[in-house]
Amino acid sequence: MVSGRIADRQGNCTMNREGNLHSYTLITVSVILAAIFIYAGVEKIRSPLDFADNIQGFAILPLALVVPMALALPFFEIASGLLMLTPWTRRVAALGIAIITAMFIVALGSALARGLTLDCGCFGVGAPSRTRMWAELGLDIVLFAVSLSIYLRLFIGSQASAANNALAA
Amino acid sequence: MIRFARDIGAVIVIAIVALGVGFGVNRMSANPLPTMYQTPEQRFDAQLTRLVAAPPFPITPNLTVNLDEFHSAVSGHSTTILDARPSVFYERGHVPGALNLARDDFAKDYSRLAPVLKPDLDKPIIVYCAGGECHDSKMVAGALLALGFSKVRVFTGGWDEWSAAGLPTVKGTAP
Repeated sequence: MVSGRIADRQGNCTMNREGNLHSYTLITVSVILAAIFIYAGVEKIRSPLDFADNIQGFAILPLALVVPMALALPFFEIASGLLMLTPWTRRVAALGIAIITAMFIVALGSALARGLTLDCGCFGVGAPSRTRMWAELGLDIVLFAVSLSIYLRLFIGSQASAANNALAA
Repeated sequence: MIRFARDIGAVIVIAIVALGVGFGVNRMSANPLPTMYQTPEQRFDAQLTRLVAAPPFPITPNLTVNLDEFHSAVSGHSTTILDARPSVFYERGHVPGALNLARDDFAKDYSRLAPVLKPDLDKPIIVYCAGGECHDSKMVAGALLALGFSKVRVFTGGWDEWSAAGLPTVKGTAP
């Protein structure tokens, strides 16, 4: 009986430790994502005209949508970055980041497939380079995977706690 | 599913707010972007059109040439002669060697002539138009100064004085 209680306590301790480790990892990764997107947004705001030219270079959007995209995207990135920093808004921010990184992956992938050499404008103005495009595509895939996994983890967690609340009620 | 739809809704709200903030900040900026995107070439054309529509070249004695000075410049071949009249008048007759940089089609003509003009911003340039009270030469000269050309002068007598003096003329589109 006593040894069973000790085993239970040890089990709880291990679970708590694992839970804390997961929380710290989640917070660290969230802060890194937030820093990346706030930085990317601020860099784009500094030169909206160059960013509009970068978007037009992909030749994906109709001309009428180039300027609205160039004006909205930097603030969307900054807002998502800031919202990543609080636990209450992190889930929505992770979804927002997953959506825009998916968009970047499609845009960069299609530009590379069409043989275009562009400056994607992802982190400010730079020289057009296919090497950089491949590197930014790789980074976007990593950011997409990380943000999607954060979203799914928080989403499943919130579903589980909602189910527990329903059971308790 | 409802939770996911709610999350998507929240992302859409963030996007709409970001769009509103973006347009607001753009409106307050010193050089706001126009709502409709313009390619770099369209922006350059618009800039040239604004330049040529700006207040014309100030006419002072040292910035103008008389017929004799103009004649020697045309004969010397060391000065670029520009005809600021519309192309239809240029084709009917112009000063030998003159290039057509029409005031009313400045952006297009400047883009065409830029490879000839831009390599030497300090080469002397003389602009003429019809003569008399015409302003095209002064407007083109003002735009060229704004574009960085340093030795721009105007032949105020223009085509009227040149042709009335019985000096040689050329017809067609070639200089």
